[in-house]
Amino acid sequence: MWRRMLLAAGVAIVAGCSTPHQNFYWGQYEHAVYGMYFEPGEMDPQTQIDLLQEDVERSEAKGLRIAPGIHAHLGYLYAMEGNIAQAKTELATEKTLFPEATVWVDGMLSRLNGVTP
Amino acid sequence: MMLFKRFWLLAGLGFVALLTGCSAPAPYNYDALLAAEPRSILVIPPKNNSLEVQAPYVFISTISRPLGEKGYYVFPVAVIDSFLKENGLPTPEEMNLVPLDKLYEHIHADAVLYTEIDDWGQKYNLLSSDTVVDMRMKLVDARTGTLLWDAHAEAVRSSDSSGGLLGAVINAVATQIINSVNDQTPKLSRSANTIALNRPHVGLLEGPYALPKDK
Repeated sequence: MWRRMLLAAGVAIVAGCSTPHQNFYWGQYEHAVYGMYFEPGEMDPQTQIDLLQEDVERSEAKGLRIAPGIHAHLGYLYAMEGNIAQAKTELATEKTLFPEATVWVDGMLSRLNGVTP
Repeated sequence: MMLFKRFWLLAGLGFVALLTGCSAPAPYNYDALLAAEPRSILVIPPKNNSLEVQAPYVFISTISRPLGEKGYYVFPVAVIDSFLKENGLPTPEEMNLVPLDKLYEHIHADAVLYTEIDDWGQKYNLLSSDTVVDMRMKLVDARTGTLLWDAHAEAVRSSDSSGGLLGAVINAVATQIINSVNDQTPKLSRSANTIALNRPHVGLLEGPYALPKDK
């Protein structure tokens, strides 16, 4: 009986600690943004893509909502790298996750369609 | 006698009022924010009144997270910055002059965060140096321009020494060298933003993506 209660308490404590006290998973996003302005040699688009794709996977593994802007930022990076198909996919994901971005993302998508008719 | 008692009672009450007045700032008037109920925020790279030219871009690398954690959709700051640049606005100065209706037409954010940087970077004193970030931010309704919320955000990091005069000189020189390599302003900017957004009674109210508070 006691053992069971202790166990329950332990689980409650652990669960309490692991409960995310954040709305979103941010990962390396702001680090990447800082780097692209101040260490552009180190933080080139491909490096950012690698970091942010890792974040997307981590957020999924942790069951956390990916932070706003990350998929759109990825879309922008892929476009810079010339991978227009993947850029479109990322932008579409941003819009699906956050309908607030719809008008702006649609504008970007139509411009990307202009690039590759 | 009776009069005396009343006097002390009144004096006591006055004192209590004074104390509470000092400890709690007047609560912010949230009427406009509550009426507008913005879901999304567009961060415009700050207007820079400081001498540190990099300040606006350090700032934009430290605002998405605290703003998003308040529960808002935050447009991707760097992508927006290049979007504005590609549309003929090469500097933050110019980005701050774009009419709201233009921003709304193309980006469709509910609210726009304008920031003005007043002071930024390291101040060298004789024996020590301080790193400061100091800015004013205001959130406006993107459709009407109505002010929804505003705040002053600042943070200071001092490198004081308690090692006597010589110790202080050496310390100041050492910090100068370390800080030129290791910029302290991103950390300071992040805490200034977090504090300004979360300050009780005057911070920004939570947006639609805020998780319900547990406990």
